[in-house]
Amino acid sequence: MTQGVTKINLEMLKKLLIFSVIMFGFGYALVPMYEKFCEVTGINNLLQPDVVDKNIKVDMTRTIAIELDANVRGLPWQFKPLQSNVKIHPGESLEVMYEISNVSDQEISGQAIPSYSPRFLEKYMKKFECFCFTKQVLKPGETRQMPVKFVIDPQIPVDVNTVTISYTFFALQPGK
Amino acid sequence: MNNTEQPAEKASAMQVAKAVFWSFLGIRKKDDLDRDAKMIKPHQVVIGGLIGGVIFVLSILTLVKVVTS
Amino acid sequence: MAVVQDVHGHHDHHPSGIMRWVTTTNHKDIGTMYLWFSFAMFLVGGFLAMGIRAELFMPGIQILEPELFNSFTTLHGLIMVFGAIMPAFVGLANWQVPLMIGAPDMAFARMNNWSFWLLPVAGMLLVSSFFVPGGAAAGGWTFYPPLSAQGGMGVDMMIFAVHILGASSIMGAINIITTILNMRAPGMTLMKMPMFVWTWLITAYLLVLVMPVLAGTVTMLLTDRHFGTSFFNAAGGGDPVLFQHIFWFFGHPEVYIMILPAFGIVSEIIPTFSRKPLFGYSSMVYATASIAILSCIVWAHHMFTVGMPTVGQLFFMYATMLIAVPTGVKVFNWTATMWRGSMTFETPMLFAIGFIFLFVIGGFSGVICAIVPIDIQVQDTYYVIAHFHYVLVSGALFAIFGAVYYWLPKWCGRMYDVKLANMHFWLSMIFFNVAFFVQHFLGLAGMPRRIPDYSLQFADFNMISSIGAFGFGLTQLFFLYIVIKCIRGGEKAADRPWEGGNTLEWTLPSPAPYHTFETPPVIK
Ligand code: HEM
Ligand SMILES: [Cu+2]
Repeated sequence: MTQGVTKINLEMLKKLLIFSVIMFGFGYALVPMYEKFCEVTGINNLLQPDVVDKNIKVDMTRTIAIELDANVRGLPWQFKPLQSNVKIHPGESLEVMYEISNVSDQEISGQAIPSYSPRFLEKYMKKFECFCFTKQVLKPGETRQMPVKFVIDPQIPVDVNTVTISYTFFALQPGK
Repeated sequence: MNNTEQPAEKASAMQVAKAVFWSFLGIRKKDDLDRDAKMIKPHQVVIGGLIGGVIFVLSILTLVKVVTS
Repeated sequence: MAVVQDVHGHHDHHPSGIMRWVTTTNHKDIGTMYLWFSFAMFLVGGFLAMGIRAELFMPGIQILEPELFNSFTTLHGLIMVFGAIMPAFVGLANWQVPLMIGAPDMAFARMNNWSFWLLPVAGMLLVSSFFVPGGAAAGGWTFYPPLSAQGGMGVDMMIFAVHILGASSIMGAINIITTILNMRAPGMTLMKMPMFVWTWLITAYLLVLVMPVLAGTVTMLLTDRHFGTSFFNAAGGGDPVLFQHIFWFFGHPEVYIMILPAFGIVSEIIPTFSRKPLFGYSSMVYATASIAILSCIVWAHHMFTVGMPTVGQLFFMYATMLIAVPTGVKVFNWTATMWRGSMTFETPMLFAIGFIFLFVIGGFSGVICAIVPIDIQVQDTYYVIAHFHYVLVSGALFAIFGAVYYWLPKWCGRMYDVKLANMHFWLSMIFFNVAFFVQHFLGLAGMPRRIPDYSLQFADFNMISSIGAFGFGLTQLFFLYIVIKCIRGGEKAADRPWEGGNTLEWTLPSPAPYHTFETPPVIK
């Protein structure tokens, strides 16, 4: 092999290695890009209050039964809704209360993640206020009552009569 | 270092666009291809391909927008 | 292992025995080792497949506990994709690329040795993960969190194995790109390169494009598991769906990485045995390149049921279906090459034609999976299993078999036993279809994938499928026998055993000497 070829080869090696490293970085860059994309397009908008049209009409002809559910995953809290079900007219705004208490002797923070059934309820569920928008920090033994304020969009398909709203609290690592 | 055939003249943007478009389909006339091979430089193809890719994506997006609206 | 032993040692002396293989930088030795490694992994993955099919032979749990069954499916996928198919293609590239472009060796011979020797380490990690507490990874070859964020030590071993395999592939790809771009013989312009070399060049670029992304993904998974980050952990503000996006951003180009070299092989074999030049050579080159670029924008067709706005679903559906077009054009090109050629049906040709037949079926079922309303039904069912086995087994693997029969006379200077080899083809063809065709029906009827048990109405088809699978598995042991028999003492092969072969490797003696093209050939 002549010296010349080796040198071109080394140059090529360098370029391709740099390219690989860039692509490795690109993999990481996909994380903020994905978050930005979801934010801009409004997909996966779990932790922000919704903006609701002021002129939303209440549809008195329909009543939807809402079942409230609460879970904790991996932290020593008790978490429950103060009412297990409510009835609502689409378009009407409603407040429901949840209660958490920290039964351990440590300060712990947690984050609630909502989930809905049927799944498309997410599209019609407009929340102005929710304890799930921020993390919750509870001192040892502390108990707290927290509201969720929302309306259900009257556009919701007519065959929906019963829905379930569920929250699960996850433990957050200290310092988050 | 291996290219004995030097590009005779530079290809026009239109010619690159055509080459890229046909490549998306996967067919190309032999004569056109010979001309492409002589005139279009690799970096032109790469840039043309990237632009072509973007146009491809945008046109599908437009189509989807039309269909869903 | 005797493939090239009898011809080495003309020029310089190198260690003999095992050290020869450990230290070798010769592209032929390394290619041979890649191929044997991949065959060994093929047997391991095949063993797992036999376990899966044995469990599914009848409804109910008979031999594998559900957790172990899940480990079997997971490791079967990982080992076949990263251990068998990909290294086999790299091995073929090592052997053939320098021979086909008239280069004396790969550009970075030392690095070539490293990239091979990383593989057994990764293979050992994967296999031994079965024996650690908690067992091997069991969350599927796509290792989606949250399952992969839980799991025991086996998952960590899998993550390291993927890291190592990724590093090996990247080094291999860099080597191949540099060899192809810088070391062609004078006169071998890009547009004169054999199709196999072209497809490998494009594949290698795809590898350096997406392998690092995979490495990034598994690194994130690792830090999520052990260092408190929350990329994919919902509790910490992460998002498991993000994982799927990043994984498939790698994953879909990856499936093309596994099929483009197969396209190249078929594009060598078909013209040779049709005694006609490849129809539309240059459009094939163009189409391959555009398939590669566009394969990077269709990933979310694997995620239609994950939850996506309609606009997204339609976008990925249309894009996926459009990319099937250049793929389809290739099939027409091969058919047109055979049209009015004077065809003969040697074993490589049989495999190539079998490839075309069955790959088309796999391509069609792919397009069907790409249609959102249908995919919502068939996603995660046996229909998808049938789809990708038609493109991977009767696609990639058949092409590899074809390539081995095509070049074996050149590699070891002896002819394989034609009768047995043809029998290998026919048995593979029949058993493959018995095993996998019925899986389409199972999927359409709603049988989910990755389950050790199923309801009674699926029993008959599962039994048929298992019988086919056992037959296919045994047939591959027969392949091993054929290859060993050929190496040990086949008939002496001519330098140009196929009179239609026009690429450079056929100008060399058979078996190819240890060092070739030290003075570059001149291409007219
Ligand atoms: C004609 C071109 C193709 C189309 C339109 C296509 C389309 C698809 C679609 C839509 C899926 C997702 C199905 C689902 O999960 O519900 C899929 C899965 C898959 N395809 Fe293809 N495909 C094509 C070719 C290929 C090729 C050439 C390969 C590999 C050589 C391949 C390998 C796979 C694999 C491995 C999966 C399953 C991944 C998994 O979930 O484990 N496909 N394909
Ligand atoms: Cu895909």
